[in-house]
Amino acid sequence: MRSVSKPVPMRPTRASEPLRGALVEWAERLGLFIAWAATIAMFGLITPETFFTWANFSTILGSQAVLVVLTLGLLVPLTAGDYDLSMASVLTLSSMIIAVLNVNHQIPIGIAVGVALAVGLLTGFLNGFFILYFRIHSLIVTLGIGTFLHGITLWISDSMTISGISAALVNAVIVWRFLGVPLEFYYAMAVCIAIWYVFSYTAMGRRVLFVGRGREVARLSGIHVDRVRWGALITSGFLSSLAGVLYAGTTGAADPSSGLTYLLPAFAAAFLGSTSIEPGRFNPWGATVAVYFLVTGITGLSILGVRTFVQDLFYGGALVVAVALSQIVRGREERPQ
Amino acid sequence: MKAFRILAFGLLCAAFAGSARAQNPAVAAAEQRLAPYRKLPEFVAAGPAFDARHCMEGKSILGIPVSSANPFTKNIYIAMAAVAKKVGFKFTEWENQGQPSQWVQGMNYAINNKYNLIDLLGGTDPKVLAPQVKAATGAGIKVIASHYSGFEQPAPPGVSGVVPIDYFRAGQLLADWAIAKTGGKANALVIVSMEVNSTASMLNGIKEEFDKLCPDTCKYKVINAPVPEWSTKIQPNVQSALLADPSINYIIPIYDSMSQFVVPAVTITGKQDKVKIATFNGTPFVLGLVQQGKVEMDIGENLDWIGHAIADAEMRILCGLPEVKDPKIPFYIFDRTNADAAGHPPQLSTGYGNAYIEGYRKLWQLAD
Repeated sequence: MRSVSKPVPMRPTRASEPLRGALVEWAERLGLFIAWAATIAMFGLITPETFFTWANFSTILGSQAVLVVLTLGLLVPLTAGDYDLSMASVLTLSSMIIAVLNVNHQIPIGIAVGVALAVGLLTGFLNGFFILYFRIHSLIVTLGIGTFLHGITLWISDSMTISGISAALVNAVIVWRFLGVPLEFYYAMAVCIAIWYVFSYTAMGRRVLFVGRGREVARLSGIHVDRVRWGALITSGFLSSLAGVLYAGTTGAADPSSGLTYLLPAFAAAFLGSTSIEPGRFNPWGATVAVYFLVTGITGLSILGVRTFVQDLFYGGALVVAVALSQIVRGREERPQ
Repeated sequence: MKAFRILAFGLLCAAFAGSARAQNPAVAAAEQRLAPYRKLPEFVAAGPAFDARHCMEGKSILGIPVSSANPFTKNIYIAMAAVAKKVGFKFTEWENQGQPSQWVQGMNYAINNKYNLIDLLGGTDPKVLAPQVKAATGAGIKVIASHYSGFEQPAPPGVSGVVPIDYFRAGQLLADWAIAKTGGKANALVIVSMEVNSTASMLNGIKEEFDKLCPDTCKYKVINAPVPEWSTKIQPNVQSALLADPSINYIIPIYDSMSQFVVPAVTITGKQDKVKIATFNGTPFVLGLVQQGKVEMDIGENLDWIGHAIADAEMRILCGLPEVKDPKIPFYIFDRTNADAAGHPPQLSTGYGNAYIEGYRKLWQLAD
């Protein structure tokens, strides 16, 4: 399996001169923060009475938890060198399971959420089984499993949107607030801190990183590569279903297809985040800042009243420009494959 | 005594405000337009009675919905299949998942199997099927685009006919509701999907009503969110719009499934008490939101009735009768006062009464 292609984050380079190298490194580490601050400053100057309000910032922070959690879940298999394209399908299925059980079958919301999370774990387990036992590329397995899950979602929902999910979940996600920000923001931050801690301060996190950087080297070093990859896929399955729980709590309903649109933004945020904070690595803080940088820009454009296609220009343009600038800073290094 | 004075003053103010509202000509005109749609719909025939069983004998219709994984089109075709069974002709739904390549297969299947009529339902776009439409009409097969365009919109090129919907009126009613409920001072955020053919007609209805009834006191802003991007575009754009203009008092998502993403935007910005939602389609989960008070009003269409109306229009074409210009598909306004009639949880085609079933039976001269 040496020829299997793996997701490669934006890798850093080291400048030859120590001072220049340090500056370049800091510029790269903080590049996304600087871009985010510049975006805030720009829109704040144009519409200070609307943009520079706590209501605006609490709205920005409190409405992207689904994407943040999904992106954080994606980081784990990406770091271990695998893709997980089934995540958005797990998110959608998870929210639909909650709606079907809670609304159609009057099952208490706590149990419905538990079942949804269990389905996420099971999906991760199945992904890992097919990838590792049959030695199939993760791209193919997760694409197939994701499509299969979408079929299940359409089946159990009868292709219908189901509303009326228990107010307890809605309250716990977007209605109840701390410092004016809906609780879902804090859940996403808790996930971010947990992943950051595991990646930065535990042997398990380091093993995931080693496996992602070189499977053969990791294997020769005594790391159970398959076990690490399997664990990463189970984690992404679980976090996808958690994102589905938040999605159900945000909308108070579940529909069989809209969650699928989160997949590409999650990949965009993961790769954009890998250019910053810890350049060259998929990292949770970089990914989280990337999500909020993009949503800040889109919110600013919305407040200015620009037509919505401009938001796509910003979203796509920001991603390409940020990655391109990152390459310029590091001297157009050829990325190893 | 003091309490009595306060109460009397309050009543006086309320009476004055009520009378001011009633005297407002914009409000009066809006309420007048809304009134017929607040009563249970009555059956109105789209044309003279005819012997459907006799003239449809041996005829066949193939229906290609925009997607079979869509409860809206699915239930219209369930109704059409029931009509076919009752009247005695062949009806086939071409199952697909919304991909134009699958529509092409369905067109070819109909041509090869010599169907008499092809129904393109609810957004199956004749414009992306031009060669197939040409081949079908060349083979003598009628191609009809149903629930696709408004009364005033031209038929798509190449098709034999359309079964239109009064989308323009639906748009007017949405604006009327906001005008009536705000005393002629609506500030509406209208959410549209411009790539959908019927959107232009609905949006024209909304704009014309605001511009005609309250040009100086009403205002509106339009946001476009393409259908595949509803989940990622609607919520942040609505949030931003509500923050940018705190005087917005109505949100009009012109297709009610958009409401799923509008409701959380209103909740997160804490505007539940100030901003109301009025919408169109009568999708069951949105009627559930009406029951919960999260959506104020939803203009519903009875899918079973639509299925009957499309079958009626298409049978007339196959029977050589004059083409139907208005299929007489009624709208019915659901708000908190009558949303319970849709069931708990709300069901498709429920809450509209069943006057049409007997009406169509007589119209098609079917035995009891």
